[in-house]
Amino acid sequence: MSSRISRRDWLRRTSIAGAFTAGTAQAIEPGRPAWRGAERVEQIATNCEMCFWRCGVLAEVRDGKVVKLAGNPDHPLTAGRLCARGNAGSQLLYDPDRLKRPMLRTGARGQGKFRDISWDQALDFLAARMTDLKRKHGAESLAFFPHGVASTFFATLMKAFGTPNSAEPAFSQCRGPREVGYALTFGAGLGSPEPVDLEESKLIVLIGSHIGENVFTSQVTAFSTALERGAKLIVVDPRFSVAAAKANWWLPIRPGTDIALLLAWINVLIEDGAYDKEYIARYAAGLPELAAHVREFTPEWAECITELPAGQVRETARAMAAAKPAVALHPGRHATWYGDDTQRARAMAIVTALLGSWGRKGGIFLPTNLHAGSGPFPPFPKTRERADGAGTRYPLASEEQGLTMGLIEATLTEKPYPIKGWIVYGQNVLESIPRREQTLKAIGQLDLLVVVDVMPMEQVQYADLVLPEATYLERYDPPAVVSSAKRPFIAVRQPVVDPLFDSRPGWWIAKQMSQRLGLEAYFPWSTPEEHLESIVRPLDVNIRQLRARGAVSFAGRPYIDNRQPGDGALFPTASGKIELYSPMLKQLGFDPLPRFNGVNDPPTGYFRLLYGRAPVHSFARSQNNAWLDALMPENQVWINSDAARDRRLDEGDRVILENQDGVQSLPVAVRVTPGIRRDCVYMVHGFGHASRALRRAYHKGASDTRLMTRVGIDPIMGGTGMRVNFVRVRKAQERG
Amino acid sequence: MARYAMVIDLQKCVGCQACTMACDSEYEVPMGYARTHVRYAGPQGTLPHLVAGPYIAQCNHCDRPACVHACPTGATFQSADGIVKVNRDLCIGCGFCVEACPYDARYLNPVINKVDKCDFCASRLEKGLPPACVATCTAHAKYLGDLEDTRSEVFRLAYEQGAHRNETDDVHIGPNVYYLGKPQNIGLALATFPPRRPRLVTQGQFWRGVVKPLVLAAIGATFIGQAVAFFHQLRTGEKQFED
Repeated sequence: MSSRISRRDWLRRTSIAGAFTAGTAQAIEPGRPAWRGAERVEQIATNCEMCFWRCGVLAEVRDGKVVKLAGNPDHPLTAGRLCARGNAGSQLLYDPDRLKRPMLRTGARGQGKFRDISWDQALDFLAARMTDLKRKHGAESLAFFPHGVASTFFATLMKAFGTPNSAEPAFSQCRGPREVGYALTFGAGLGSPEPVDLEESKLIVLIGSHIGENVFTSQVTAFSTALERGAKLIVVDPRFSVAAAKANWWLPIRPGTDIALLLAWINVLIEDGAYDKEYIARYAAGLPELAAHVREFTPEWAECITELPAGQVRETARAMAAAKPAVALHPGRHATWYGDDTQRARAMAIVTALLGSWGRKGGIFLPTNLHAGSGPFPPFPKTRERADGAGTRYPLASEEQGLTMGLIEATLTEKPYPIKGWIVYGQNVLESIPRREQTLKAIGQLDLLVVVDVMPMEQVQYADLVLPEATYLERYDPPAVVSSAKRPFIAVRQPVVDPLFDSRPGWWIAKQMSQRLGLEAYFPWSTPEEHLESIVRPLDVNIRQLRARGAVSFAGRPYIDNRQPGDGALFPTASGKIELYSPMLKQLGFDPLPRFNGVNDPPTGYFRLLYGRAPVHSFARSQNNAWLDALMPENQVWINSDAARDRRLDEGDRVILENQDGVQSLPVAVRVTPGIRRDCVYMVHGFGHASRALRRAYHKGASDTRLMTRVGIDPIMGGTGMRVNFVRVRKAQERG
Repeated sequence: MARYAMVIDLQKCVGCQACTMACDSEYEVPMGYARTHVRYAGPQGTLPHLVAGPYIAQCNHCDRPACVHACPTGATFQSADGIVKVNRDLCIGCGFCVEACPYDARYLNPVINKVDKCDFCASRLEKGLPPACVATCTAHAKYLGDLEDTRSEVFRLAYEQGAHRNETDDVHIGPNVYYLGKPQNIGLALATFPPRRPRLVTQGQFWRGVVKPLVLAAIGATFIGQAVAFFHQLRTGEKQFED
């Protein structure tokens, strides 16, 4: 067996072997991952759902796998740009912690014990339980807690089933007061995306809005474009936000006193005679009443309340007057702060009106309605009045979006009638609605709790039935028909890959349920493509082009000057004018003009708890995303440097927050900074997840919602003000 | 010939990290590492007189790059258009360039054990695409272009609008990332994240970093060669090899 290899052979062979090993390790192009070679990668247009802004996405898909998400340059609103969350969307799709198959509860509620079942079993079970509830307590005993576009199919099912009780935080924990306050004044709310003409403005005014930390792609683009063009910026915020650091005027206002500042601004505009006289004379009613009302609300009066120098209040009002009408006073988005929020929105709307900014370039632009199809539905059955008081106890609450906390209270009290079942669809009732204990108690009284979601949020542990929904990258949703853009547009959401695991798209779940409940007539299409066609057909859009490019836009008429008769009334209020003085509020027994009614100071030793957004996370939804977690694994508590020194707190110390009712947070790191007032602390919302099934996000950071045991209820529209809680801060016990 | 440079308008930048994420996704950057990322300076001062702002850290594609000088194998090189690149075939993962870079713009990718860094998305540029970070930037705050083209946007922004480079008296190796913004914000950002002096390699590090891997590679290659020969021989029999 002896063999001899010549030295030359040996050298030849080893060098070949060496070349071979080098060859396998080599990238195709330096710096590029190996998969990005010459192969053709499929690109599919859709829109994003990492938040609700729905930016245009181009998904690169190779062999059925999403390898990259990028902005879609053809999208009329976002033009190829995507934020960090949008770029990280594939990590939601491929999150190993996703809900994977339908599950039926086997243990006690909250224990988290389930067995897997098939979709047929799951949907049969749900249909049987819904029918049962309807027979025993009536259809309205079933309440619906939706969030997101995918839930619209199920919303149709619920209406067809016969319950009026649907409520989402988008109204009563978010935009409600703003929509109502602006509608009272101008006859129309703002909608989403907000039609704020930032890029054309000469002066931007942000009241609590923290653009930059709160990122909606096109809004940030417009904001930075304005700054580049030399727009001035006023930021009213107790915290030195990212926007405040760019501002010409930062007004570190005493929290809760915004109405006083706004009244003083109105005072200056009127006393100076610096409002848009021609615009007001032509379009507005109620100026004399307003002028008389604000006469006493001078900047000196406001200084005592807001702790802002009167000179600065006057100077900023005059800056607005100088820039009018191109002043973009941003109406904000999350507006449920103190319970007087509709009146604050009214005050903001009045300033906007006095500056002549509504419907004018650089102010608030007007929507251009698109007349998309809605499908030939049979009429929905008549129902009893809503259980949450929307439209009755709270006369101006939206009956379409409802009051979440009203439904929870009705569940607890069984008044005006019993609510025995909840279907929670994409909403996170424990993390988005204050008074968590009350929510848990209500859940304990339910005969049926169903959760439809993508991720195993904490509420899943309490569900009787869990249905795993496909992510936005795996499903059709109703297309976005967006009128509140300067160029209105329609954009599609279509699957870029097949659903993973045993998840199913929302349209499929709703349609399947409709067949089991005998409600097929409300779903008169057999495929989602057919449904899409029925919506876009009246717009005369080439559907192949729409699907290939992702979006199609139309000519817009965003300003008063280019409106046409078919666009409808300019100010669809009762008087047909801008109502500076609100006869409707007067008639309902509320202040017809906004008034500052005071705000409680924190008790000694306590701070007011403020909260907000981070650019890399959405609500309490994205914390388990691997890439976003890497960028921001937990939140911090901002605390003023002097206040921290008094309490011997250093940067990075872990602390417990305890609220006025003794509720404690998880340990959370402090950020010691001069960039916040001494009377408040601030944290980013959405952290401190209590679901162990979120293996990455579990117990990282602290939850602000958990500390909200009190709310300020807005008597006009039933919103829940959430900035009325106080916390004290103590060092967390060192462990081991 | 072009001279690529980037201008970053920090007054427009909101620090949203879209660029970071787009880059991470484009290049499969392992979590915890970055080719580009946003940092935040401040707030500093006494309320209400405060300064704060974002800063974007990435490769500066310097005129006199310390990394190129430090690389023992020639893997790190500067192409004629000014872009500093890493040839992965030649990179041995010694990390000298990581130590040398005053801007900490390089990292040793633990998955492939090669150095990785921003290359202005050279492969995208070849296809006529903007860099991934520029394309996705929500604030439209990043500009890439040719500094030798007097009509280019980067020329206008860098020279006519008085942009700043992140240099100190200690470290001035000709960085080609230019920052725009309010003077006090730029001042704070550059003072908070200044370049550090390049760390040079000692003899001991050289032994551990270069010679050892090279020797190991040689031994490995020999072993593989032997193994290939052995198995080849098993399969084909001895006869062919008998002289």
